[in-house]
Amino acid sequence: MSYTSFSFLLFLAGSIFLYFVFPKKYRWTVLLCASVFFYLRATVKGFLYVLVTLLSTYGFGIWLTDFSKNMKQELKQISDRSEKKKRKEILQKKKRRILLAYLLLNFGILAFLKYTNFFLGTINSLAGHEAVPLLDLLIPLGISFYTFQATGYVIDIYNGQLEAERNLAKLGLFVTFFPQIIQGPISFYDQLAHQLYEPHDYDFVRLKKGAELMLWGYFKKLVIADRIVGLLNVILEKYAEYNGTIILTALLVYTVQLYADFSAGIDISRGICEIIGIDMAENFRRPYFATTINDFWRRWHITLGAWMKKYIFYPFAVTKPVMNIGKKIKNSRFGQTDYGKHVAKVFPVSLSSLVVFMVVGIWHGANWKYVGFGLWNGLIIMFSELLKPLFEKMTAALHIRTESAGFRLFQIIRTMFIVIIGYVFDIAFGMHSALDMIRKVFFEQSLSAETWSTLAAISPIDRWDVLLACAGILIMFIVSLIQERTGKRVRDLIDDKHWTLEWAVTFAAVILIICFGCYGPGFDASAFVYMQF
Amino acid sequence: MIMDELLEILQDVNDDVDFENCETLIDDGILDSFAILQIIAALSENYDISIPAAEIIPENFNSAKALLKMVERLQNE
Repeated sequence: MSYTSFSFLLFLAGSIFLYFVFPKKYRWTVLLCASVFFYLRATVKGFLYVLVTLLSTYGFGIWLTDFSKNMKQELKQISDRSEKKKRKEILQKKKRRILLAYLLLNFGILAFLKYTNFFLGTINSLAGHEAVPLLDLLIPLGISFYTFQATGYVIDIYNGQLEAERNLAKLGLFVTFFPQIIQGPISFYDQLAHQLYEPHDYDFVRLKKGAELMLWGYFKKLVIADRIVGLLNVILEKYAEYNGTIILTALLVYTVQLYADFSAGIDISRGICEIIGIDMAENFRRPYFATTINDFWRRWHITLGAWMKKYIFYPFAVTKPVMNIGKKIKNSRFGQTDYGKHVAKVFPVSLSSLVVFMVVGIWHGANWKYVGFGLWNGLIIMFSELLKPLFEKMTAALHIRTESAGFRLFQIIRTMFIVIIGYVFDIAFGMHSALDMIRKVFFEQSLSAETWSTLAAISPIDRWDVLLACAGILIMFIVSLIQERTGKRVRDLIDDKHWTLEWAVTFAAVILIICFGCYGPGFDASAFVYMQF
Repeated sequence: MIMDELLEILQDVNDDVDFENCETLIDDGILDSFAILQIIAALSENYDISIPAAEIIPENFNSAKALLKMVERLQNE
């Protein structure tokens, strides 16, 4: 049941109606039933994997909570300090083993389903024939998103930041909540769970605002993303035949399509939550206005970044070996210099950041190109931090006013350039083709008439589609610019005006989507890009 | 441990931040993850403590006062 299908809209309207007419005490059960129904409509087999994650999360969560309580009690009764310390270490080790078993089970399932065929394929290609048959593995819908959310919950319990939920059905709602299970946003338990369980009253303003956000999502998905994705696909199919200008065109199309598609899915999810009365975490904050690559990753897929930061980046960065790297640099002769002191401070952190990007890369898929993605982003962040004093000296020597609008524009363009080159690793079939594409982009540019006639010949979209897409992109750009400048939601700015304007904009959006959206017979509405993860 | 000593360590990490008065270092995004880890490295070295990742929460890093409280607690553990 795709977000863009009529049946989904019916399902949604029914669920929301039932939610508000149900007795307050049981409203959360409507969300649970809707979530289970939504998932089972997509896949019954996949739901079995969800159940394994849910039951293990429930069991291990309670085990860890009870273990921590008993541990506290036991330690309280020991008065001798050194004995207490010894006992604490032993119990801490046991507790860590419980967590490890849970993580191995859940990340094991994720890794098995995502990477087994990659390894079997590698064995076959090394053998030169089909030595081992590939497995017919089903990747459950949204496996990464519910796994991340569930493991985050158990790690928080391990860290003493949460107590386990003892109601299995309630925990089930947290793990399977339908607006977010397909592609996020990934929520932390302490931010989301209580909002799911407590009843929310019907509120017309929230209904209107949530519906407006959903409309905006449908506009981006159906009018922009799905209109241009065909052009991207035909270029990629035979990319080797085209020059760098056409490859660059594909990259630019992907830049728009990915953002329009992914942010659309998130807006629809957040809009649904707003209607119900749930404040869902933000996942994008105008990423293409970022001034540095670090800034970009703080604005793009924010909830995945927050998850990675909390559960991988910090735990890795504060380990003794990583902390000792900084100390070693500091104690060396190089570490006594001004630049050495800077390197001692930022190198361990940059290294941790590189590790996180490698993990994010590998999470995207079993392919060497994703290692390239991790290296590209991680190394650029590492070098930009390591060379910061040099850049500061350069800007000072050149008397560049770093606060000026011109410099900010330069920074935005520079960041976009890095991001767009990084997208090569997304769209290419493999590492080899990614490197080939980069070579073409840099060394095979041609603005000749032949380039444009080739593009026109292969393009599955006509000039009206191009015009419509450009108009849609312009609207998306203006909305983003207003948000970036004012820090306010455009919906709120419109609502502050006369009600006629508000309804006129809403009506225009509906008409635009109905008339110019890519849906219905003859259109194969594309699945949301991030559903595959 | 006195506050002045801690403030000196924090200023050494980033002297653009008003550690003395600010109480929303995390909530207002004044400290990013790079700065947080640099503070952890400096505190670990100066006070001979180990700060686990579970301690990296806004309540512990929002102000110098909160940091001082965390350091004292970890020293006593």
